[in-house]
Amino acid sequence: MFKNFIKIAWRNLWRHKSFTLINISGLAIGMASAALILFWIQNELSYDQFHENKSRLYVAYNRAVFDGKLWCWNTTPKILGKTLKQDYPAVEETARTTQSNFLFTIGDKHLNLPGYFTDPGFLTMFSFPLIKGNPKTALTTVNSLVITEKTAIKLFGNEDPMGKVVRIDSVDNFTVTGVMKDLPNNTRFDFEYLMPWSYLKKTGGDDTYWGNNSVQTWVLAKPNITEEALNKQVINVTKSHSDQKDDEVFMHPASKWHLYSKFENGKIVGGKIGSVRLFGIIALFILLIACINFMNLSTARSERRAREVGIRKVVGAQKGSLIAQFLGESILLAFIAGIIAIVIVQVSLPSFNQLTQKQLYIPFNSIYFWLAGLSFVLFTGLVAGSYPAFFLSSFRPVSVLKGTFKAANALVTPRKLLVVTQFTFAIVLIICTVIIHNQMRYAQNRDLGYKKNNLVYTMMSGSIDKNYKMIRSELISSGAAVSVTKTSAPMTEGWSDSWGFDWKGKDQSQKIDFNVFNADGDFVKTMGLHIVAGRDIDIATYPTDSTAMILNEAAVKIIGFKNPVGQIIKNGNNKPCTVVGVVQDFILQSPYQPVKPMIIQGPKSWFNVIHYKLNPNNSTADNLKRAEGVFKKFNSEYPYEYHFVDEEYAKKFNDEQQVGTLASLFAGLTIFISCLGLFGLAAYMAQNRQKEISVRKVLGASVSNLTGLLSKEFLTLVIISFIIASPIAWYGMYTWLKSYPYHVSIEIWVFLLAGILTVIVALGTVSFQSIKAALTNPIKSLRNE
Amino acid sequence: MIKITNLEKFYRTEEVETIALNKLSIEIATGEFVAIMGPSGCGKSTLLNILGMLDDPDEGSYIFNEIEVAHFTERKRADLRKHNIGFVFQSFNLIDELTVFENVELPLIYTGVPASERVKRVEEVLDKMQIMHRRNHYPQQLSGGQQQRVAIARAVVNKPKLILADEPTGNLDSTNGNDVMELLTDLNEQGTTIIMVTHSEHDARYSHRIIRLLDGQAVVENIMV
Ligand SMILES: Nc1ncnc2c1ncn2[C@@H]1O[C@H](COP(=O)(O)OP(=O)(O)OP(=O)(O)O)[C@@H](O)[C@H]1O
Ligand SMILES: [Mg+2]
Repeated sequence: MFKNFIKIAWRNLWRHKSFTLINISGLAIGMASAALILFWIQNELSYDQFHENKSRLYVAYNRAVFDGKLWCWNTTPKILGKTLKQDYPAVEETARTTQSNFLFTIGDKHLNLPGYFTDPGFLTMFSFPLIKGNPKTALTTVNSLVITEKTAIKLFGNEDPMGKVVRIDSVDNFTVTGVMKDLPNNTRFDFEYLMPWSYLKKTGGDDTYWGNNSVQTWVLAKPNITEEALNKQVINVTKSHSDQKDDEVFMHPASKWHLYSKFENGKIVGGKIGSVRLFGIIALFILLIACINFMNLSTARSERRAREVGIRKVVGAQKGSLIAQFLGESILLAFIAGIIAIVIVQVSLPSFNQLTQKQLYIPFNSIYFWLAGLSFVLFTGLVAGSYPAFFLSSFRPVSVLKGTFKAANALVTPRKLLVVTQFTFAIVLIICTVIIHNQMRYAQNRDLGYKKNNLVYTMMSGSIDKNYKMIRSELISSGAAVSVTKTSAPMTEGWSDSWGFDWKGKDQSQKIDFNVFNADGDFVKTMGLHIVAGRDIDIATYPTDSTAMILNEAAVKIIGFKNPVGQIIKNGNNKPCTVVGVVQDFILQSPYQPVKPMIIQGPKSWFNVIHYKLNPNNSTADNLKRAEGVFKKFNSEYPYEYHFVDEEYAKKFNDEQQVGTLASLFAGLTIFISCLGLFGLAAYMAQNRQKEISVRKVLGASVSNLTGLLSKEFLTLVIISFIIASPIAWYGMYTWLKSYPYHVSIEIWVFLLAGILTVIVALGTVSFQSIKAALTNPIKSLRNE
Repeated sequence: MIKITNLEKFYRTEEVETIALNKLSIEIATGEFVAIMGPSGCGKSTLLNILGMLDDPDEGSYIFNEIEVAHFTERKRADLRKHNIGFVFQSFNLIDELTVFENVELPLIYTGVPASERVKRVEEVLDKMQIMHRRNHYPQQLSGGQQQRVAIARAVVNKPKLILADEPTGNLDSTNGNDVMELLTDLNEQGTTIIMVTHSEHDARYSHRIIRLLDGQAVVENIMV
């Protein structure tokens, strides 16, 4: 019996190749898309969930009121971790982390590598296993070093790294005391090595100041301590140790680190979980659409198989065995589609990974993957096959065999419903895609307030700071650059903010937070900013400019100066500084947010970055070559590294770009799968109505008459879908755009565009079949009767 | 073998109600060869479908082999049917996707005959119908007469006690038609009861008895000599 089913199923699929092709490819594409999304979701959900201690792991957050709002941030004082471990019984272990970036030297090999300073507890709190070395002791001595496997290969090739010595920044030697298994693709941590905190302390990088929030503090609670109990204990730790009387501390649990990391007014309002849900819904719908195709095509075709059902019943088939037969066929199809889907996923994963910036892979070795895959196929086969199976098996043999069974219209009501569902979803996706792209273009076209092209920056590593004056003058004299300035942070990042400024007439009850930026001179010229009042900082002409300040317009507005130039502002160290100029607002951080008030401090501050405007008369390659010569000359040990400001700025759109690209990809796929189904349906309808068409043609109908007759019904469905889709898309986008203070308005043309586009594509798909049917010689089908 | 009493069947559409069978009573004994005749639309096919348990009557009683089957469930009817009744249609009704052999094998599969036994029985019947050489062909590759022989082979492979034939020669020329009638006569002589609907007086002459229907009622019964 079973063999017979398979044989007949196979033969049926083979005999109707185009049907099989349409059905399988639609299902395979649907499954592959859903699988890609599910891999992505699985990866997102598994972030840092592999730590054995995950239920007890927390990261410390601060919270305090500024500008009338409760803000939360997860940089903490360095002293916090130590204090929590010593004096708070709910805390078992803590580890601080802060970034480090050192030049590693082994023999004549130099490598610039990013890593962390951390406490020894890091290795025991988290499940980052050491392949070599003892996690309890690997970071306990000052000059010890734990490296990842990948870094070990970079540094030592295939030699055993344990006990080897590495020179750091040509000042200190470190001994490798541990080799860590490479970090998995689902952790928030990103480092190539770990260095002991004790080294930071030795070199003066540690402090006990409660007002300096600069490191992250990870906390392992004692077993059986709830989040609530822990929070109750630690909430006042900052208040009771310092004069920061309104800073509270709370713990953010590991289960929420990745997905629920967005705070608003002190409460978690989501984060990545939003995208996870969104794409989960998309995956579900794409799969649903593929299944709908399958059902539609199977039932449409099944009407042609009605006779087979009738005969089988006459010769003794029970309803059950017919159901089994048709389910078997659809499961077989789903199975084939599943195999093709795996191939599609495997082939498209590299590009998908690039798009999503992940390292996803198909876990071929995991039994769970195969079990999940198999149930996925069975489920799809059952869902897709159930309607045709029950529909077909309930045919009454008498009516079928007598020919009273009408198969004239491929568009019965349930099928119409399914087509409308498909196209509604497709149209919603198209509208959303267009609006997301609009929003991105809108933000990208926003006036930056400075000129980002030809602007390059280099971090001040090694001896750059020491030799800055010479580097600056040689960059210009070599012709590489036309202007150079030293700043505290890259132009695309806000590294520092402070509410410690004071001026005459300030309302002392309010904390006003300013972005803080430092520049030594030629800042306005190099960046191409617009001066609104006063002048740039210029210490050569004005020796007092070492404590000069520039404000942006937002700062002037919030401070309330009528004549800002010449006013005195006291900085955090209570030093009076003079405002020498005001610049037009420029975007430092998010292009979607209003520009924050900003203070640019003069030469008497700290610096990390050199910005230089390349010489427009030379080619970029030429300029970079000249610049490299200069940096090599004055900072010979370090490789020359540079960043283009316009490229860095473009990265601000990465997230939205990703969502946008994924949305267009899936919108395209949805339309494609839907049209595949429409194509199949139209083919059946044309086939079923061939006789009617022939008779009409003999009676004098033209080809366009007939094409119109056949396409009209489908067109109506697409239009209904459009009417349903528009408000759904509008509401979804309205909600999405609301999260961007700087956003486009939703315009009517987007809807019209999506509607017309869908109609054209659908009409094209259907009329291919309609025209084909209308062109057929009527004699042919009439003779076949 | 068959006894129907006051059998009624209506067809209702939105506008009209058709009485296809009107208080029809007929009795047919085991081993008989009966022809049913009458003008188009008088209810012959309807009667045959009810006798074959493909359809159920609205009123009246239908006793098959001493069992009242008029109100059997679909499942029970299918069970009874597959062991006792074979069908032959005017339009052959073979499954296009199956070969000759597989078409004939189908009823055996549904009655759960083991595979080795099936091969034996199918070959035996195909031999008897003289289409053994076509066993691996598909229906479209056969002539009408050959297709009808396959259909008869399929009807008898399960050794049914009753064969119902609805205009079995309707789509055939006279030579092929006569062949089919010979086959049915042979089967009848081996003990199978046969009920056949036909428009052809010539074919009707092969039977023992003719039941003539008019407007769903039996008007005459001719006993053939
Ligand atoms: N499904 C149906 N719905 C409505 N009326 C029907 C249906 N099937 C049959 N009838 C009607 O029932 C009556 C008997 O039909 P039936 O098919 O039994 O006639 P028949 O004697 O077999 O005719 P023919 O010799 O043309 O095959 C006819 O009037 C027909 O119109
Ligand atoms: Mg008839």
